[in-house]
Amino acid sequence: VTAARAAWPHRHLLDVDGLSWPDIELVMRTADEMVDVVAGRRAAEPVLRGVGVTILFYEASTRTRVSFELAARQLGASVVSVSAAGSSVTKGESLLDTVRTLEAEGAEMLVMRHGVSGAPYLVAEHFGGNVLNGGDGWHAHPTQALLDLYTIRAHLPSSGSGRRGTKPRGSARRDEAGGWSLAGRKVAIVGDVLHSRVARSNVWTLTAAGADLWVCGPSTLLRGFDAWARAGVGGERRFTVTSDVEAALRDADVVMTLRLQKERMASGLLPSLREYAATHGISRERLALAAPGAIVMHPGPMNEGVEIEPDVANGPQSVVTEQVANGVPIRMALLKLLRGAVA
Amino acid sequence: MSPRAAVAARSGLEIGKPVDLDLSRTWLVDPVAGREGPAEIVVRGGVVAAVRWLRGPEAAGIDDRGIIVAPGFTDLHVHLREPGNEAAETIATGLAAAAHGGFTTVCVMPNTTPALDHPWLLDGFRAAVAGSGSPVRALPYGAATAGRAGEQLAPIGELGDAGAIGFSDDGAPIRSAPLLRSALAYAGMGGLPIVDHAEDPTLTDGAEANEGLIATALGLKGWPAAAEASAAARDVAILADVVRDVPGARLHLTHLSTGASLEVVRRAKAAGLPVTCDVTPHHLAFTDEWLAGARRFAWEALDADGAARDPWRDGVLTARPFDSSLRVNPPLRSALDATACLAALLDGTADAIATDHAPHAAVDKDVEFGLAANGISGLETALGLILEAVAAGRLPLLRAIQALTSGPARVLGARAPIAEASIMEGSPADLVVFDRSARWTVTREALASRGKNTPLVGRELPGQVLLTVAGGRLASTNPLG
Repeated sequence: VTAARAAWPHRHLLDVDGLSWPDIELVMRTADEMVDVVAGRRAAEPVLRGVGVTILFYEASTRTRVSFELAARQLGASVVSVSAAGSSVTKGESLLDTVRTLEAEGAEMLVMRHGVSGAPYLVAEHFGGNVLNGGDGWHAHPTQALLDLYTIRAHLPSSGSGRRGTKPRGSARRDEAGGWSLAGRKVAIVGDVLHSRVARSNVWTLTAAGADLWVCGPSTLLRGFDAWARAGVGGERRFTVTSDVEAALRDADVVMTLRLQKERMASGLLPSLREYAATHGISRERLALAAPGAIVMHPGPMNEGVEIEPDVANGPQSVVTEQVANGVPIRMALLKLLRGAVA
Repeated sequence: MSPRAAVAARSGLEIGKPVDLDLSRTWLVDPVAGREGPAEIVVRGGVVAAVRWLRGPEAAGIDDRGIIVAPGFTDLHVHLREPGNEAAETIATGLAAAAHGGFTTVCVMPNTTPALDHPWLLDGFRAAVAGSGSPVRALPYGAATAGRAGEQLAPIGELGDAGAIGFSDDGAPIRSAPLLRSALAYAGMGGLPIVDHAEDPTLTDGAEANEGLIATALGLKGWPAAAEASAAARDVAILADVVRDVPGARLHLTHLSTGASLEVVRRAKAAGLPVTCDVTPHHLAFTDEWLAGARRFAWEALDADGAARDPWRDGVLTARPFDSSLRVNPPLRSALDATACLAALLDGTADAIATDHAPHAAVDKDVEFGLAANGISGLETALGLILEAVAAGRLPLLRAIQALTSGPARVLGARAPIAEASIMEGSPADLVVFDRSARWTVTREALASRGKNTPLVGRELPGQVLLTVAGGRLASTNPLG
């Protein structure tokens, strides 16, 4: 047990860029406990009994919203769910007025999804309790990135030898301490990176884990990422950006596909869904370039036949349903840790 | 002797009243003559009675880091919001803010509600200026197109006759190339400039932040530098055609923010075209990394070899990201662009520093970053930011003062009713006195503007303005000594 175990220093979860590697490890370990709680192997800890958790979603969502609700209920919270369409938001109420109202009505933890990047940061400055970002614009989806990492961790034990040669400095140090890392592992994120908050949060967590990260898509959907890769994600991290899907997939241990939205054609970024599927869709043939036993991930909802072929989406290498299932323990872990930080 | 003892008011100081001043042992900057040094100035009844450069023992101990006297500043670009949005600013509060910042002349953009696109609207403007009691000159731009709608010309001739100093659809770039050509030609008959906000709106639809590392990492929609450079290039190409037929045609590109658009102006000037431009204090001093929470100045965000640094790697993200006080059009750019703005001032490509003072009510700023109104309240912090650049060795004091005085006067041309940018015996005193070493904290209360929308709230700036005198009359004063 390290000193980091006891100390969760964050009042809010707005993004993953501010999390240290010990913070992330603490989330993973706490999620391990929560898996046992969900499975009935461990007594439930009602650490949120009597705590008002309000789930405020300005965008449609199925899995994230349901997963947060289940997680909060498992921990004993009283959960209120607000969707923007059914509230005074449609009457033009400002975000801060809405949040003040919810706080006056007993919200102590606020889970929010919002279409404008950065909105949770504004809320966090004015809300008395904890804010959990359930996705903001193109910016961040921290719980998704953490559940993705948790899912990868279950499938890829630390690669002791680092089969791709040199390991980044940071993760080598972690290996000496005996912790899990993705050093020597290649992860490829393929799809509409430009508009993806999932991709952005995964850039932070996967590179922090020591992965050799490749981000791939048509050049119109990668705009700006080259500048980011050149800057190095704030340290000695491995981050490559390419339009070449074969280079991205070759020997990858993890292939993460992203949803392609139909409005990308209307805005002139792509010629057609058909062409996208042909050039960047994940098919069995393309997946064969990846390492044997590579896992295939997707944050959902999937457009089968566009960014991912149905036989891959539902095939033996797919861990998509595990990702969904891991959403509950990861969110339980985060709710518990954040509440503990305030108490 | 305390430095402020050098500034003695012979009579009681009252806003709007002629002043009697004895400014002894000060550092005088004369931007027209390109001269600076120890001097004393005497003002009687609002008129400069004596200007005497000091030499030898009299000048001992006086340097450019103490009390500085300069001609009153001219701001080519302010928004005063009246009529239509008096919660954000009124003409009276805007002029008080100008005086507090050392400005004695402000050029007022016409994007009010209604837009200033008819001569009769100038009567209301002048009445509000007179009613403010401020001696600061407020010079109006007229709209370039009716209602700033970009469809037909505003009555440019009548507006010019009624006192408009130029024409602009600022905030709404003139999209139609034929209409811009007509506006340049028409205003050119009277020798008045078209002031264009250079932006290709088809490249900036929904844009939130300068395209690059910061916008990408923050998930903000990119605002390409090319949107400004391509619009500037179009404007200059049209000007080149127009000026052959209408020699009086003049183009002023305001708030240029990128190295590429400044290069367009640099080449146009080299080709002899009648184009001028300004840059803002915020584009000189701030960069897009402030959106991520950095608060270092642009010149601190460059490597020794001139490359932009990564604020995550440097661990300088100290403030809350997505602060909507930083949302501005054009957006805060990279450190390289900010450096290009400074270089343009140094080589004369940029004629002036203008604030683009854009006050907003809290209700329009305390919202999500992407939904917040564009603009920074800038009149009162301009001098401080510029002095930071001076202190960092990026801009000589004389050049900085020129960009606030003789530079904008040259942009406006001979037709503009402004004072000579020089302190001359026998003329009404039009000057600013500031203590370069005195630091002050920017607070909401300290700002005379109703617009508290500046990322500098809570920060100390150098260069406290002690006195602003416009047309011989007191415009602003801080407690002396």
